[in-house]
Parts: sequence; structure tokens; C-alpha cells
Amino acid sequence: MSGKWRVWRSTLLAYAGALLIFALTSLYSPGFAAPSHLRSLIVVSAFTGIVAVGQTLVIIGGGIDLSVPWVLNSAAILVTLIADGANTPLVWAVPLIVAGGALVGAVNGAGIAWAGIPPIIMTLSTNTILQGLLLVATGGSPPAMTPHVLQVMATGRAGPIPVILLIWLALAAAATLLLGRTVLGRYLYALGTARMVAEFSGVPVRQVILSAYAISGATAAFTGVLLTGYSGQAYLGMGDPYLFTSIAAVAIGGASILGGNGTYLGTIAGALVLTILTGLLPIFRLSNGALLVVYGVVILLTVSLATPAVQTMLGRLGARRS
Amino acid sequence: MRAGLRGMGPLLAPAAILLALLIVLAALRRGVFTLDELNTDAAAAMTLILVATGETIVILRGGIDLSVGGILSLATAIAATRGAAGPLEMAGWAVLILVIGAVVGMLNGALISVLELQPFLVTLATWSIVGGTALIVLPSEGGAVPGWWVDAGAGTFAGLSLAVWSLAALLLWWAWFRRTRLAASIRAAGSNERSAFLCGVALGRMNVAAYGLSGLFAALGGLFLTSQTGSGSPTVGNDFVLPAVAAVVIGGTVLSGGRGGLAGSAVGAFILTIIGNVVFVLHISSYWQPVVAGLILVLSVLATSLGELAMARRDAAL
Repeated sequence: MSGKWRVWRSTLLAYAGALLIFALTSLYSPGFAAPSHLRSLIVVSAFTGIVAVGQTLVIIGGGIDLSVPWVLNSAAILVTLIADGANTPLVWAVPLIVAGGALVGAVNGAGIAWAGIPPIIMTLSTNTILQGLLLVATGGSPPAMTPHVLQVMATGRAGPIPVILLIWLALAAAATLLLGRTVLGRYLYALGTARMVAEFSGVPVRQVILSAYAISGATAAFTGVLLTGYSGQAYLGMGDPYLFTSIAAVAIGGASILGGNGTYLGTIAGALVLTILTGLLPIFRLSNGALLVVYGVVILLTVSLATPAVQTMLGRLGARRS
Repeated sequence: MRAGLRGMGPLLAPAAILLALLIVLAALRRGVFTLDELNTDAAAAMTLILVATGETIVILRGGIDLSVGGILSLATAIAATRGAAGPLEMAGWAVLILVIGAVVGMLNGALISVLELQPFLVTLATWSIVGGTALIVLPSEGGAVPGWWVDAGAGTFAGLSLAVWSLAALLLWWAWFRRTRLAASIRAAGSNERSAFLCGVALGRMNVAAYGLSGLFAALGGLFLTSQTGSGSPTVGNDFVLPAVAAVVIGGTVLSGGRGGLAGSAVGAFILTIIGNVVFVLHISSYWQPVVAGLILVLSVLATSLGELAMARRDAAL
């Protein structure tokens, strides 16, 4: 009970933080809250949010997925190569590419679950191998333009609402249902809390690990596809920032990196915080370096606030005041 | 005798991989088993070896240090903005750089112990903070270190390059360090934190020392790198974080802590460096290097992990 409350509290804290930074910045710079700017913030958050669907599941299960950057990048390059600017091939190319991402994730999961390879090493290896293969295949310079449909998906609007927000909301609902209402979700929390206990309680631990990494591969690949629509092209290295942001979003959202707790709602708040902070860059004329410093400080602050040590300290302070 | 051999056991696999790579290289071009080659390869591998030294210590403790990327970048950034410094001034800056590295590492250790935070997250955050600081100090690649600094980096003594001498010194240091109380506590805590604590290991102080050493070696790696390249880069460290972990793991140090050592990590770093040479000689795209490195990493861990699974099964059968 109290554990559940702690997770909810850190989720609420993350949203409060996002809202506070947003409100303060809007006071300082009124254009920040303008509908058009709000929309662009949401669009940028969506990419982090969608990659982080898989990362959330994997981290709740007690693992970590470092293969996100080049799964994303491979998907982006492949979709532009296959479609070559045309819309019709997307009908089969996008499902195929997302399935390919899931397959890479499944390989990660298999190596971790059956061969006992530590998640960091397994996913790092697939990331490096994919990076090399992609560089070899493209000769270092990827070609081709993004099909129009993808541009609509990433930057288009349905009335006042960005299309990608609808996609994100659908995935968020799916992730939340999966974690809260399905057997797989239960198993993931059990696995992340104590693998041994889960195993003896009859949780099919290996299949659960495999599923989590497969989903992570799929969401990373799907983000890669969407991201080509946003940037109008695919380029090498476009996935690199998402290793940091996907993990940071989950951490800021209140999940423990050791697994066993966390919600996708929290991750959404984490993605929003990270994006709003990026939005401060031009307003306060911050350099990229300063943004990295701010990112680091925010991660440290949010994860320390959630630790038992700080919680008891705050509790003691509160008790003294009352 | 047997105990000695068993101690060398984990080193056999990486040493065999390295030897195989060297034989392949020797079949493809001449001059592989020469001093010149040793000098060049050591210079190419030394930065990674230094970063991997700190990473070895932290992984032996059962942790991980991602902030070495930021520290390495910051070290090159500071050094490369001191192009006009004289020897004495530069020595002062070098000391300052090492102190910064050590202090950042000690902060990591303190945050991990005092707040009971996970090493992965703490060092991910400090990687970002210190890497960001590097970008503020030196916004883009370039700058210059003093000319004599680069001359020293390219200098040789008795036919051996600075890198080879540094490597020898490093291995000597390790031979001493691995027998110290601190190293024993680090290994003990890496195998089983609770029993180490019950045996009287001061976990907090040990964490501060272990992560402090990691930061110090990352800064040293940055200083060495500037002596080879002559300039700085605010992002260069990012390319060393995961390879350093890879070098440690290929070298036979167990990621969950307790077992392993520097010699293996140095061999691991040489393996990752020599792969590049082999790919170059084969006249195939240099982009094959990460593919081969990734495969070697996953295969070497697979071998260890399958061996352990088999051993556990045998123990269970007995």
C-alpha cells in the first residue's frame, strides 16, 4: 500500500514539476504557452514518450535497453530506403520494420533470459552491431526522402490536435492497460521486484523478459519511422539522443532503475519535463552544454527525492514543523 | 600452483582472442611482432586502458561508472584551452584536472552511499553534468595544448613510447593496489555487500574511494589523449564509456562484481584496438569494426555465462 502510494507520489511530483517549469517559463516568456508552441513541445515529447514505452516495460522488469539508438536509426533508414518517397509501400514496410525492431528486441531478450548475459552487455552489443551494419550498408551517407504520409503522421494536425499526440495517447493507453490490467504486466512487476521469487511462483520469467525487450525494439523502431516524418529525412546518428532521454524519462517519472515499480503515466511526465527543459534553451540563451548540466541536475534531484533516505529525512522535517 | 593457475583462468580466453587477432594481422602484413608495432598499438589503446582501469575498479565493486565519458571530455577541454601555458603552469593545470576527475568520482561515490542511489542513474546524471560543463569550457572541437606537451606524448625512452612506459607503470601500480586493504574491501563488497559490511568494510568510504579512483583515471585518460591528438574535444569522452565497459567485460571481469582485474581489461582494450587494425588491413569498410567488436563482446560474455550455467548445473547434480 505505502509502496503504491510512493509511486503515485513520485508520478504526481513529476507532473507538478513539469507544470511548474512550464508555468514559470510562460510567465517569463508569454510565447511559451502559445498554442503553436505548445503543439511543437508535445510533438517533440511524443518521440521520447513513444521510445520510452518499451524502456519503461524493460526497466520495470529489472532490465535496461541500450540498443534503442540504433534500432531507431535502422528503422528510420530502412523506411526511407524502402519507400523512396512514395506512400504506398508504407502499408507493408512500416509493419515489417516494426516487426524487425521486435525481432532485434527478441534477440536481446533471448540472450538475457536464456544465455544469462547481463542486459547492459547484451543490448550494448546489439546496438554496436546494428550501428556497424547500418554504416556498412549505407556507406556512411544515407539517401532518400521521407514519404508524405509519414510527414503527416509526425507533424500533421487533426483540427487543433497534432496527429502524433493521438498516436501517443493510443500507445500510452495500451502501455497503461498492459502494465495495470494484464497478466504480462503483473509478471513484469513481479520479475522486477524479485526474479527468484517470481520464478518459484510460476512466472514464466524467460518469456516475460523476451516480451518486454521485443516491445522495446518495436517502439524504438516505430519512433524511428515517425522521426523521419518529423525531420523530413533519415540520417545516421538520429537515434543517439534517445538512449539518454528514454532512460531519463523513465527515471524522472519515478520508476526504480532496479525494477519492480513505476508507471507509464510517470514516464509521460518525464518526457514532458525533458522537452520543456529543452524549450528553455532559446529563451534563456542557454548553450547545449548548459542544457546537459540542467538535465543531469534534474535527474539527480528527482531520483534523490524518491529515495527512502530523503523520504525519511523529509518526513522528519515535516513532523518537526507540525 | 593450482590456485595460481585458477587465478589466471579468466585471462586465458581474452589472451587467446588477442593472440588470434595478432596472428591474423601478422598473416596479412609484416612487422606485427616488432617494437614499433607495440609502440603504436599501445599509444592507440592507452586512453581506453586508462578509462577501463577506473571502470575495472568500479565494476569489481559491483557498480558501474558512466560519468567517465564526461570527465574525459572535460579533461581534454580544459587542457586544450591552455595552449600557451609554460611547463610549470601546465603541470598545475594537469594536477587541477586530475583533482576535478577525482572529486567528481568521489561525489558519485558519496551520492551512491549516502542517498542509496543506483550507480547507473547517478553516473548517468553526472555524465550529463560534467559533459555539459566540457561543452561550456570548449564549445567545439579544437583548441590546442602546448607544443612540448605533444612532443612529450610522442617521445620515446630506450626505444619504447610513452604509452608503453605508462602501461608498464600502470600494471606495476595494479600489482601493488590489488593487494591493498582497499582493493580487498572493493572485491568483498562486489561479491557480497552484506557480508562485506558485517566483516567491517566501511561501505561509504570504500565507495568514495572506488568511484574517486575511477574519476581520477578518466581524467588521466583525457590528459593522455591530448598528448596524442594535440587538441581537445568536448564530446570525445562519450566514445569511450561503453567501450571501456566492453574492455573490462571482455577481459573477464564479471559485471556483477567481485572477480576480475586490470590485466584482463588491458587485454580487452588491446583487442578492441587491434580489431581496427585488422579491418584496416583487410581493405574492407572500417565500419565493420563495431560489428566485430560487438560480436566479440557478446560471444565472450556468452562463453563465461554458459560456463557458469554449466558449473551451477554440475554443482546441483552433485
